[in-house]
Amino acid sequence: MPIHDPGYRNWQGHTTPAASRWLVVAETGIQRAWRSSWLKRILLLAWLPGVSLGLLVFLYEQMQAQDDVSSKAIQGVVLNVLEVPQSAREQFRDFGGVLSRRNLSPGEERHLFWSLLLLNLFRHSQPLLLLQVVGLIAPPLISQDIRSRAFLLYFSRPLAPLQYILGKCSVVLFYSLLITLAPALLLFVAGVLLSPGLDVLAATWDLPLRILGAAAVITIPGTLLALALSSLTTESRFAAAGWFAIWIFGWMLRQTAGLFSAAGPDSLVWNLSLFHVTTDVAGRILDPNFLAPGFGFQVVLLGVLCAVSLAVLHRRVCAPLQV
Amino acid sequence: MASLIELQGITKDYGKFRALSDITLSIQPGVTGLLGPNGAGKSTLIRVLLGLAHVTCGTGHVLGIPLGNQLPRVRSLVGFMPEDDCYLHGISGVETLQLAARLSGLPSLEALRRGHEILDFCGSGQERYRPVETYSTGMRQKLRFAMAIVHDPQLLILDEPTTGLDPEEREAMLNRVRILWRDFGKSVLLCTHILPDVQAVCERVVILAHGAVRVSGSLEDLRRTAVPSLSVTVGGDIEPLVTELAQRGLAAERQDGRHLRVAGSAELAGQTLWEAAAATGCIIRGIEPARNSLEQIFLDAVGEVRRANT
Repeated sequence: MPIHDPGYRNWQGHTTPAASRWLVVAETGIQRAWRSSWLKRILLLAWLPGVSLGLLVFLYEQMQAQDDVSSKAIQGVVLNVLEVPQSAREQFRDFGGVLSRRNLSPGEERHLFWSLLLLNLFRHSQPLLLLQVVGLIAPPLISQDIRSRAFLLYFSRPLAPLQYILGKCSVVLFYSLLITLAPALLLFVAGVLLSPGLDVLAATWDLPLRILGAAAVITIPGTLLALALSSLTTESRFAAAGWFAIWIFGWMLRQTAGLFSAAGPDSLVWNLSLFHVTTDVAGRILDPNFLAPGFGFQVVLLGVLCAVSLAVLHRRVCAPLQV
Repeated sequence: MASLIELQGITKDYGKFRALSDITLSIQPGVTGLLGPNGAGKSTLIRVLLGLAHVTCGTGHVLGIPLGNQLPRVRSLVGFMPEDDCYLHGISGVETLQLAARLSGLPSLEALRRGHEILDFCGSGQERYRPVETYSTGMRQKLRFAMAIVHDPQLLILDEPTTGLDPEEREAMLNRVRILWRDFGKSVLLCTHILPDVQAVCERVVILAHGAVRVSGSLEDLRRTAVPSLSVTVGGDIEPLVTELAQRGLAAERQDGRHLRVAGSAELAGQTLWEAAAATGCIIRGIEPARNSLEQIFLDAVGEVRRANT
């Protein structure tokens, strides 16, 4: 029994604005997801690519100081490890030498190199890790609420269905951006801090905006899709299975379609792989010279996916509640 | 006194099925029991009041707010305790309560303080720190009740609040309902199948059957019999007294081995009753105005519908 029990008391205080109630849903979801030790492990792992690329930024600055070892190391990594767009491959072949002969200014050269690093971050390591993170946190977010009838906890209170959806999306987006936007922005900041002067900002000012765009492209469609799947079932494992199946089978279809020349970049079969579609669009946003055939079609496809997922989500959340 | 809930011609259809049919109802502040057999439309009525279901036709007000309008305002003034579990996996009882309070607009820290205070009021101990999925039925019931009152609503809608509780906890729960009305002026709509609960705390009842209101009014008024009669407790053999009363022109109905119901008021039938008792040697242990039991009222209301259907 409590030492001091005042019994029931009326409550008269200031309430928080109704428009901010989605933050409660988001905060609760973020805290609940954080209790998973697997999530913490994946997040830790997700920062390793960013740290590795940060090391390359450091080596790049060393190379600028006429360090031959750095120059060779960076050339080796760029040509053998990273994905370099065909248009830029020639420029990186004799890194440090050819660039100067082609009359690229130091600012342009940095822009080119940083774009390359970000391109690799957004097209390879992070989407794969994002798949794991979203697959871990999104499936139970709505399915468990349906199963445990927590909908009544939410909707018998002053909370609109759209606020609920916004709150749940924020949970997935928070962790998604933590492993995509945050390392990319920190990489950019590290590059600025390691460069000789702040005038580098004049040459690379567009990169943070491109990072934002690319992060939005690889996180938003996935978030909406994962939550739509979660809303379709009361079993989170089915939602998780559906999530991974969509990515894996899509990837396999793309690989199979690649074997047949009849299926062009504008065909639906070619673009059934969500992984390829999102990373291609993100690549194009990060580097306008990046060759992404069927870019327009892919953008439309992502738009349709977002709209359909949102419609499913809204319909399921607004479905008649059992009292 | 302004009505708490005012409904006029509320009809709710689910496809071809009519769940509520032309409900016209006025519920005054206080504790009101909402009764009805399964499928009577009680849950649908609750959903309509909370704005969780749109009405097919009809109008109404809850706490003076028109139905279907200003839903957030209605929901911030109403506390709802559902019959079934509703909780989030993996969070403790006090965290669940904090979440409920925050969703109703209480600031985070205040919500936690209020959550603890309400759990104390509900008699919850250290189990408040355990995940809700490990709770027993009784603990969950208390938590649901706590969730309904954590934001200090004006109107409480309690759906089967005492189901699954042991007698001691049941009495404690009903006592909390009494305290909330008596000391804090919280109106309560108590939806239950347990008639003694209604008799214990409610001042008024509404009985629904087949989506329509069959009975609505003060419990005191409903329990009065249509024809004045007396309930007589008799010691000894009851049969000679029944015969003697019949010979003296008084209709007497035998209730059980010790009780009789005699038509007529105490003024008109009293003297004859005493004389008949003296003549037959029966001992009269008690006389009081006869009342309908709530069970009888309920069965009459529901039975009327059944008879009409057959």
